[in-house]
Amino acid sequence: MTHLLIENLHASYGDKVILNNINLAVAQGEMIALLGPSGCGKTTLLNALCGFMPIQSGCISIGDRKISTLAAEKRNITMVFQSYALWPHMTVSQNIGYGLKVQKVERAEIETRVNELLSIVNLEGLQDEKVTALSGGQRQRVALARALAIRPDVLVLDEPLSNLDAKVRLNVRHEIKALQKKLGFTSLIVTHDQEEALVMADRIAVLNQGQIEQLGTPEEIYHQPKTAFVADFMGANNKLTFSSLASLQQQISLSSLTQSKMQPSFSNKSTPYQVFFRSEDVGLTTLSQDHPKLHNETDAIRILGDVQQSAFLGGSYQISVRCGKHTIQADHHENLLEGTPVTLCVPAGALHIF
Amino acid sequence: MRSSTSYNLWLIAPAALMVGLFFLYPLFFSLYSAITTDEGGLTLAHLEKAFELYSNDILFTIIIVLASVVLLAILSISIAALITLSPFRSIVSLLGFIYRIPLFIPFIVTAQMMRTFLAKNGLMNNAFIASGMLTPLETVSFLGWSGIIIVFVWKQLAFCTLLITGAMAALDESQIRAARNLGASRLRILFQIMLPQITPTIGVAMILSTVTIMSVLSVPLMIGTGTPTMIATDMAFRINSYGDYHVANALGLVSYLICAGLAWFYLRQSLKDKGAI
Ligand SMILES: Nc1ncnc2c1ncn2[C@@H]1O[C@H](COP(=O)(O)OP(=O)(O)OP(=O)(O)O)[C@@H](O)[C@H]1O
Ligand SMILES: [Mg+2]
Repeated sequence: MTHLLIENLHASYGDKVILNNINLAVAQGEMIALLGPSGCGKTTLLNALCGFMPIQSGCISIGDRKISTLAAEKRNITMVFQSYALWPHMTVSQNIGYGLKVQKVERAEIETRVNELLSIVNLEGLQDEKVTALSGGQRQRVALARALAIRPDVLVLDEPLSNLDAKVRLNVRHEIKALQKKLGFTSLIVTHDQEEALVMADRIAVLNQGQIEQLGTPEEIYHQPKTAFVADFMGANNKLTFSSLASLQQQISLSSLTQSKMQPSFSNKSTPYQVFFRSEDVGLTTLSQDHPKLHNETDAIRILGDVQQSAFLGGSYQISVRCGKHTIQADHHENLLEGTPVTLCVPAGALHIF
Repeated sequence: MRSSTSYNLWLIAPAALMVGLFFLYPLFFSLYSAITTDEGGLTLAHLEKAFELYSNDILFTIIIVLASVVLLAILSISIAALITLSPFRSIVSLLGFIYRIPLFIPFIVTAQMMRTFLAKNGLMNNAFIASGMLTPLETVSFLGWSGIIIVFVWKQLAFCTLLITGAMAALDESQIRAARNLGASRLRILFQIMLPQITPTIGVAMILSTVTIMSVLSVPLMIGTGTPTMIATDMAFRINSYGDYHVANALGLVSYLICAGLAWFYLRQSLKDKGAI
């Protein structure tokens, strides 16, 4: 059931259009990740939702309550900020209980609720601490508890983990996800870390220049990107261009192309064909191209090149291979010397063609 | 290590000497002069004389200072809050420009301007009469204590507002947004989120204004009615008419004490807010 509905939302700063026709329906209890490059309008979308900036046109509603004309304090949407935005002159429990105090909830009840929240976010015993005495991870949990205290209709989180160091980030990430499952709140989380989005979200909206490029489950976004931008952004950042269908078919049969998850219209387009694939899907061998072993798999793109650089990633090596005018990254189990001639082999199933 | 310490001492010596010679020495000399005779013996006679002659003026000064500071605090916080929190951006940017004007007008000009504005047959009353709100007989002169307060507030308001607006603008915007989406009204945000965090700045603005108010001679001379008047006027009178530096310095000591009293109140208050007391 749709809980939060955003329809035809437009917003701009001055003449600069930032959000260009955003449509998004979020179900009750769903967590949507907004993913996109810096400056694409993620924060702006959250600000428009919360009422921190005026919108130009469009409609936002929660259930059957239209909220796009309400002031920020009447919307019942709360935000968790990248900078925590805690009030330094208040203690942990004063911060968490503030929303309830504003709603004139009774003191005793506020206390019970704050204690409940403290245990939910694993901060028992810190209620009388000044927030300035807490670590980053603890602060962000206070901010989360504060935002959840008034039981908002929608919780929005703007890069809540970006200020935390890598290990704490993983912990808090899991805590937020677990909390969301347990309490079932509806939420939008902004991130520009694709892994974070994949792990946390029920669905991902990839934003580009103020528009939603693709909305789908993490699996859909990862395996079936609908545009070149999404493919590239989701880590399929090896790119080859073919000037025509014929040149593409020299490498790979048409039947396997149509079977794989490509755009249906690809056979009659005029622009060059862009082929994207991930470095982990590239098979790399030092055997020469006409070695019989290489022809077991027929439906694959085969490219010759030589090693330009090799970087140790821990589990494997990332090899940069120079192939004519393209440079292709491939994962490989062993280190290779610069200049080694190699053959790259990318199976048709791993290709995203646009 | 040792040589670098003494080298550093040499580096700050000129500055320290300047401060000592032109600042500390005259300050202590005037304090010393307030409590010693010409022969150098300790005495309270000057202070006694100062109180005997000018206790009304001292009280008057304290009242003027307190009234001005309270009005200044209320007005400057209100204007700063309007500028920072108001949703009507265009009116606010106009306000943000206008309030600064008094910064660039000297006290003596302000006093002169206000004299023609506030007098019984001054601009303000004339305007009231012309608009039919008052008859000429009903007009009152604002020259005197109320005029002095008006001028001080008018002149210092820009300075205080500037400091307080700056402090408010320096607060993290997202702190205010966090309060708004928890349902807090702007007034509540002002009192519960912003003011508690900027009390140090408000305190500094008020204390600096007090020191200014205590030291301005032109305003009580031009706007005041003679008696009672402010301490600064009495000091000038003691020196110019009698060459009596001792009593003038004794009055100076009283001024220090009034300022120190306010500073102490402020410090105690800010420590209390931090939970240290
Ligand atoms: N207050 C503002 N005034 C004018 N332009 C703004 C303002 N805030 C943001 N912008 C512009 O709006 C665009 C989108 O900004 P936004 O903050 O939404 O990006 P974002 O997707 O959150 O990026 P990031 O990942 O870096 O946080 C940017 O091009 C930015 O320059
Ligand atoms: Mg942002």
